[in-house]
Order: sequence, then structure tokens, then C-alpha cells
Amino acid sequence: MLKNYLKIGWRNLMKDKTFTFLNVLGLSLAFGVAILLSMAAFFDLSFDTFHEHRENIYQVYYAEQTTKGTEVGVTCPMPLAPSLQEEIPGITNISRYVTEGHVVIYNQKELNLSSLYVDEDFFEMFSFPVLKGKQQALLAEKGSVVLTETTAKKLFGKEEAVGKVVRLLVNGKEKPFNVSAVLKNIPSQSTMTFELALRFDNHPAYGDIKDNWGNRNHEVFAQLQEGISMADIEVAKRAFTKQHFQNYIESAKRDGARPDADGEYKQLHLLPFQDRHFVNYYNGTAEVSRTYPYLILGIALLILFIACVNFVNMGIAKSSQRLKEIGMRKTLGAQKKQLFFQFWSESLLVFLVSVLLGIALSVLLLDSFKTLFRTAVSFEMVTKPLVIIGFLMVLLLITLLVGGYPAVILSRLGTIQSLKGKLAASGKNRVRDFLMILQFGIAIVLISGTLVLWSQLEYMRDKDLGFNKEQVLAFPIDGKKNSYDAVRLLREELQENPNILSISGSDNNLGLGKDGSSYTSILGFEYRNRTIKTHMLVVDYDYVETLDLNLVSGRSFNRDFSTDSLAVIINETMAKELGEQDPHTARITMGDSTVYSVIGVMKDHHFQGLNREIAPLTLFIKPDWDLYYAYVKIAPTQMMATVEQIENAWARIEPNATFLGSFLDENMDRTFRREKIMTTMISSGSLLAIALSCIGLFAISLLVVAERTKEIGVRKVVGASISSITFMLTKDFLKLVLFAFLAAAPVAWWFITQWLEGYPYRIELNIWFFLGAGLLAVCIALLTVGAKTIKAAMQNPVKSLRTE
Amino acid sequence: MLLQLNNIFKWVQQGGQRVFLLKDLNLKVEEGEFISIMGPSGSGKSTLLNVIGMLDGFDEGEYHFLDESVHTLKEKHRSELYKQYIGFVFQAYHLIDELTVYENLEMPLLYKKINGSERKAMVADMLDRFNIVGKKDLFPTQLSGGQQQLVGVARALITKPKLILADEPTGNLNSQQGEDIMELFKELNNEGVTIIQVTHSEKNAKYGSRIIHLLDGRKIEG
Repeated sequence: MLKNYLKIGWRNLMKDKTFTFLNVLGLSLAFGVAILLSMAAFFDLSFDTFHEHRENIYQVYYAEQTTKGTEVGVTCPMPLAPSLQEEIPGITNISRYVTEGHVVIYNQKELNLSSLYVDEDFFEMFSFPVLKGKQQALLAEKGSVVLTETTAKKLFGKEEAVGKVVRLLVNGKEKPFNVSAVLKNIPSQSTMTFELALRFDNHPAYGDIKDNWGNRNHEVFAQLQEGISMADIEVAKRAFTKQHFQNYIESAKRDGARPDADGEYKQLHLLPFQDRHFVNYYNGTAEVSRTYPYLILGIALLILFIACVNFVNMGIAKSSQRLKEIGMRKTLGAQKKQLFFQFWSESLLVFLVSVLLGIALSVLLLDSFKTLFRTAVSFEMVTKPLVIIGFLMVLLLITLLVGGYPAVILSRLGTIQSLKGKLAASGKNRVRDFLMILQFGIAIVLISGTLVLWSQLEYMRDKDLGFNKEQVLAFPIDGKKNSYDAVRLLREELQENPNILSISGSDNNLGLGKDGSSYTSILGFEYRNRTIKTHMLVVDYDYVETLDLNLVSGRSFNRDFSTDSLAVIINETMAKELGEQDPHTARITMGDSTVYSVIGVMKDHHFQGLNREIAPLTLFIKPDWDLYYAYVKIAPTQMMATVEQIENAWARIEPNATFLGSFLDENMDRTFRREKIMTTMISSGSLLAIALSCIGLFAISLLVVAERTKEIGVRKVVGASISSITFMLTKDFLKLVLFAFLAAAPVAWWFITQWLEGYPYRIELNIWFFLGAGLLAVCIALLTVGAKTIKAAMQNPVKSLRTE
Repeated sequence: MLLQLNNIFKWVQQGGQRVFLLKDLNLKVEEGEFISIMGPSGSGKSTLLNVIGMLDGFDEGEYHFLDESVHTLKEKHRSELYKQYIGFVFQAYHLIDELTVYENLEMPLLYKKINGSERKAMVADMLDRFNIVGKKDLFPTQLSGGQQQLVGVARALITKPKLILADEPTGNLNSQQGEDIMELFKELNNEGVTIIQVTHSEKNAKYGSRIIHLLDGRKIEG
């Protein structure tokens, strides 16, 4: 029986090749893309799930009440972790966690590696499997270092790494470490990435601040005992906080900060470790949001939905040509059930082919997908039995629904009615119309989303950030030399070059450089009995000039003033924060009672990019704090050649360092990576949605035209013009698109407003984004149905009437 | 008695009025009869045939087929009943274009869940009997009208029905082909198959043992 079904199914498919081709094309495209997108989404959702104890691990974060509201953050003071473990029962393991970049030396090799400082417990808590060396207590000795497989290969090549001694350059001094173990490479779904791990008490600042509760520079992870929940340690935790952060609480009260909902001024909270990949410490709360992967998953489903709608619509439309067969089969004794299975198995055939093609497509596209969307997803990750079973279940469900619906419709037809070859016209078209409206609605939402995303991205790219981003090249100073010497040498090397306009340095990058690292350093100090916080930046001379920052008042740092080592330049926001009539009278005191005076106020610039509002910023010039980035302003002519000259100069100064220079506009662009990926994702999604909707529309128009051939003929005989017939045929489709627009525009508007809320600097939303999207949909729909309808309208009526 | 219709009414609502397709129709058919139904267009011939074949329902009256009361049966049982006892032949042949002659003949057997080897034998029998062995792999569109109708009859016969319902079986054929089909029906009737045909042609009607005249949904005695 099944053979018979499949045979007739196959022959039917082959009979109308265009139709079948369009159907299979649409479905396989949708399957291919949906597979890729959902893989990316599941990849994102599976972050950090490889840790065995993940259910019991938490990240400690704080919430502090300030005069401006609640501030949350993850950085902790050094004595916190040991005290927590000692004083709060229920914590089995705890580890501090901070990464620094260090130069690692072995024989002739010098590599700058990201070095993780953790406590002994770290490798008991987290499941990073050991490849070679000690299996347990990896960091029992202070002089031990743990490498990853790649790092070991980089340093030792084919040599055995375990037991060897490497030297790390920390604060200008070389310290020996003994390789105790080599870890398997860290899975790409890990939020923790490092190239080597050391014990925390080796940290360069450890000696100075290990008992200091006011200075924070690392994260803390704690593992609770099996069966103990966050709530169980709440009371102990509050008492602990009150005791250890007494100073802070008192000054917060004094400054007039409001207590939080629990009546506390400072609280330590625990964030489930599995949420770490999805958390955003923003506006005073730790917001865990998995919207992004679900958005991707949603787009995948929408695309699949559109393709399925095509399938249903085309299937039903096509059925008019099979009425005779249905009637005959019923006459010969076929039951509804049997007819249902026949048509369903045909759908199954189409689906099977499409899914296989879709899988093939996704395999082919995987590499470009990975580069385009910067995801490390791979098929190994998803070829787990559970995932495959889930995939098959979803597939079965889709085929059951999508293949089943036309099958039900067809099997229900009356025998006589279908033998006569007439379809009851009522009702059926309504489903089709509704589905098409939905389809175009989705397409319009996606198109308007794309338009807005693009404009927002362009806006952020084009906006004047307050500094020269086109002409300034920045690169990390990561060699063995003292950073000030390095910048001085660079100046000397490039002195003669007329294309080099200015050179400076600072301890932080603007935007995201090629090294991919970013950090913020914030200084809090007492000022007129208030606590004021400011971002701090250590710069070299000429910083203001190199970046073309504008001074509102005062002067820039100058080599001629020996007092400048105790001078600062602040931005306008900081000036406002200080609240002085003349900000130059303000004195800023650092913890060690050194007093700095303000010598200049500069105009606000977006030093953190456009995703955040401009915060207070203070520039220091202190040669005993290291610089980490060099800035070079170059003339706008022959830029490529100049960059090469800078690279060569840097290679002479630091022969072992890799040159990771990039212009500041590129760096800024990198901070929009998320938006960019989202734009690409949504625009490709909407492109596909439109393409698929058009395939459906085209197929339906083919059928409608075929159905109305006789009508067209009769109309022409009585004198209808080509244009009036074309209009008559396209009108119905345009009506659908119009309805779709009316339904989609408010939905799109709501989603887009929600999304734009997240940007302090954003474009103004106007009606044209939506009208544009609607207009585009109309144009595309017109083009799709136009060719076919005009052709039908131009046909000789004698010919179309004769076929009856 | 093979079947009996008692006071059958069938109507449609048109503009608030009942238009009767069949009106108080009574008919008794014995096994082995060959009945021709005649009447002008719209007199209800095809409707009557469809009612007898259980393809169509009716609004009032009783229908007994063998020992079953058709009007009380559920659709599933009805389909079981006609699947077993009734074969249909149509004016437009109604062969499935996507299936070969062989597959068209095989299809009713598939719905009767007859196993593979038996199916093969039965189809081979039919092909033999109607001399169409050489055409078995052709598709309907590759045959002439007469040949298509031959396949149609063969398909109706393959399940060995007690009753054959033919709706203008020669309507689309030329006179020679039509005669061949009628001869075939005669032969089948002699073998004991009951046949009810709808026809316009007096000549074809004469093949039957009894003629029923219909006018506006009523039987008129003639």
C-alpha cells in the first residue's frame, strides 16, 4: 500500500516540476537556515553546562546603595573569599578569579599569555579535565602553573610540558613556575577562558592588599554544599556583610543614600553560575536575560513557519487537480483514514527530501555561518542522542501538522463532489488568505526591524564621539620593556616621519582593540563629605592632543610643569559631579592622601562607546603606573604605508611582541559587534522570509491564474483590456499584503521600541521605517505576481476558451 | 432480492424552496437483473445511481441492500458494504492518470487488503480476460477511449461485485466501441452479475431486461 502511495506521490511530484521545485527549494532553504540558527541558539544556551557541579556554584556580586541609587558589580576585595569560607557554613569550595596578561618565557620563546589567578579550590569546583600531569590538587604548591593543551604546544612544541619550569615576567621581574598539569583545551562554551592558571597568592598585588577590604580587583566563585540553597545562608551572609563592610555602610548613610528594599546599604548576592553568560549588571540589578538566543530561535521558527505555510497553501491549492483521484479512490472503497495516510505520506516524502537537502545545506554553509555570526558552534556539539531525538520529534510534529492539514482537508471531501471536480469554494480560501497575511506580516516585521537596526548602527558609527577616531591608531604595549621607555623609543623612531603627527599612551584602550581585552578602573574618593566615583585613566603627555580632545578650560599636561605629576584633567560630567563653581579649585584626594589639582576640563567624549551614558572621567599622568596602549595620530595621506612604518618601528623596539594595531574607528566598530551580528542575523532572516513568502505567492498566483483562465478568456471576449485584467488579478494579492502591513506595523513598532530603550543614544523612530518595509513588501509582491498575471492577461482568449 | 428502495426523497434548498431531485421513489432489484434507467437531462438518473451506489445520501426513505438497512449505517460500514458488493463504471472512465493500467486495476484490491500474490493473480486474470495484457504498463492517457473504458470495466469487476453501476458507460465512445462495451455487459449479466446502467440510447437500453423511466425525480411507468 505504502509503495503504491509513494509511487503515485512521486509521479504527481514529477508531473509539475516547477511546483515541486519551488516547494522543495523553499522547504530545504528554510530547514537549512533553521538548523544553523537553532544550532547557534542552543550553542549559546549551553554555555557553562559542562561543569559537573554547575548547579551548586555561584558567583558573588555586590549591591551597594549610593546617593545615585543601587550599584551592582562583581569585583571583590581580597580578604572576602577566605573570610566567607571561614565564617559562613555551607560553603564547600571558594575561589578568587582574575586574569592578567603576562609575558611567559621558556628558552628562547616569549609569549604574552592570559594568566588566570585562582585559589586551590578552583579546579575542584570547575570541571576542566586534566590531560597530563597531576590529576588532583593541581595548585597545591605556590610555585605551580597549569597550562592548557594549546598553551603547552605553543611553549613546548612536541616536548613534554609537565615538570618543566617556565618563567613569568611579573612587574618587570622574572619568576619561575613549575608546570604541574596540562588541561584539555577549554570548551568553546565556557565563559571562563585562560591560557594558564596560577595560584592566587602569586598575584602582583597580593602582598599589598590581601587584607584590604576597600580595594577590589577580582571575581569570587563559591560552591555551596549539596542540598544547601542560596536562601539557607542568607542570614549569615547579611551579618557577615554588616560586620565587614561597616565603613562603607556608615559613609553611605552619611551621604544620604537610601537603603534598599531589605533595609540594607550593602548586600552580597549570589548569582547561579549558569546565568553568568547571560547576566548584565546594569541599572542596579543583575539582569539575567536569555533573550538573544531565544530571539535567534524565534527567527528560525518564523522562517520554518513561513516555509510550512507555503507548503500548506501550495498543497491545498494543488489539490484541486487531484479531486478526481480522491473521488475515484473513495468510490473504490478508500476510507478517510486511508486517504489521509496517502496524502500524508506524500508530504512525508517531500519533507524527507527537503530535510536531507536542508541538512546538506547547513553543512555546506556552516563555515561561512561561523565567520558571519562569530559563533564557535559545530556539529559535534549537537550530535548527542538527546538532541537528535529532539530534532526528530520536532520534525515529526511539523510533518504531522503541516502535511496533515491538507491531507485532512482532502480526505474529508465528499465523493460525488470531488468526482465532479469541484471544490467547495467557501472557507478554504480564508485559511489560505490568513496564512498568507501572517507570512507577509512576519516578513514586514523582520524588514522594518532590519531597517531600524541598520539606521541605529549607522547612527552609532557616524556619531561624533568627541575624539578623533579616523586618524588615530592604537596598539597594546605588551613587551618586556618599561612602557614609558617604549613610548619614548617609539617617538624617537618615528620623529623624522612627516606622516606621524603625534604619539601618546594610556592604560586603557578606546573601544575594543584587536587584543579583545577591555577593562574599567574606577576610583572612589571622599569629597566634601561625599563619596565621588570617577573612571580613571593614566595617560602619557600629548594624550589630549593626539586624540583631538577639546578642552573647555585650563590646559593640557605639559612637560614644562614639574607639578603635573600631581595634576589631573577631568571631563565635564566629572566637573558637574564635583559641583564646584570653578572646577579648577577642586582637589582630588587619593587613598594614600596624595592630593591632585584640576588643571583642565575637557569636553565630554564617549570614551566607553555609545552603549553607555558618559560617566565622570579623570586623567592622571603618573610615570610609576604602567601604560598599556600606545596611540599614534597619523596624517590622512598614505595611511596604509604609515601604519606599516609604525609596525616596523615597533618591531625594532619590541622584537618579540606581535603588533595588534587598529584605528579607533575599527575599535569602536568592534564594540558594536553584537548589534552587527544581530543586524546580519535579522536582515538575512528577513531576506529569507521575503524570498520564501514570494515563492509561496508565486506558486499561488500560478494556480489562481490557471484556475481563472476561462474567466480571463470570457472577460477579454466581452472587451476587458489587458491592464484591467492584470489589475483584477493582482488586486487580491495586494489586499493581503495591505492587511499584513496593518497587522504587522504595531507589532514591529512595539518590539523595536523595546529594543531601542537599551541605547542611551538612539535614533528617532518614525513612521517611515514601517511604511518603507510595507512598501518594499508590496513592490516585491507585485513583481512576483506581475509577470505571470500580465502573461495571462495577454493570452489570446480563443486559446484559453478552447481548453474548456 | 438484492436491493430495495422505499419512498426515497432527495432534495436541495434553493432560494428557500425545496427542489426535489428524487421524489417518492420505489425500486426493487432482484439478483441477476439488467436494468436500464432512462430519462431526459436533469431527471435524476445519475442521482439515483449514486444513491444506489451509496456515494450520495438521501433525505427521506429507506434503503435495504441485501440484509442491511443502508440508511441506518455509518459511513464506514457503508463504504465496507459497497467496497465489497458494488463496482462502478463512469462515462469519463475516471482512471487515475498517474497510475498504469496494471496499478489502476490493482488499486481496489489494495483497499480490500488482499495480499500481494493473490493481487497479482487477480490482476493477471483481468488483463487476460479483457485482452489488455500488452497495455498493462501504459498510462491511461496513452489509451483510446474504448480501451480506457475497458480498463474501467475491468477495474469495476476485479473485486467480483454482485452489482455493477454504470453511468452512461458509452457516452464518450464511438458506436463500435459502445457496442463492444454493451456486449461485454450482456456477457457479464449472463454470468450472474446484476447491472444497473444509466443511458440515453434506446439501443443500449434494450440490452437490459427492464427499463425504468425517470422524469423530474419520479418514476413513470412505461
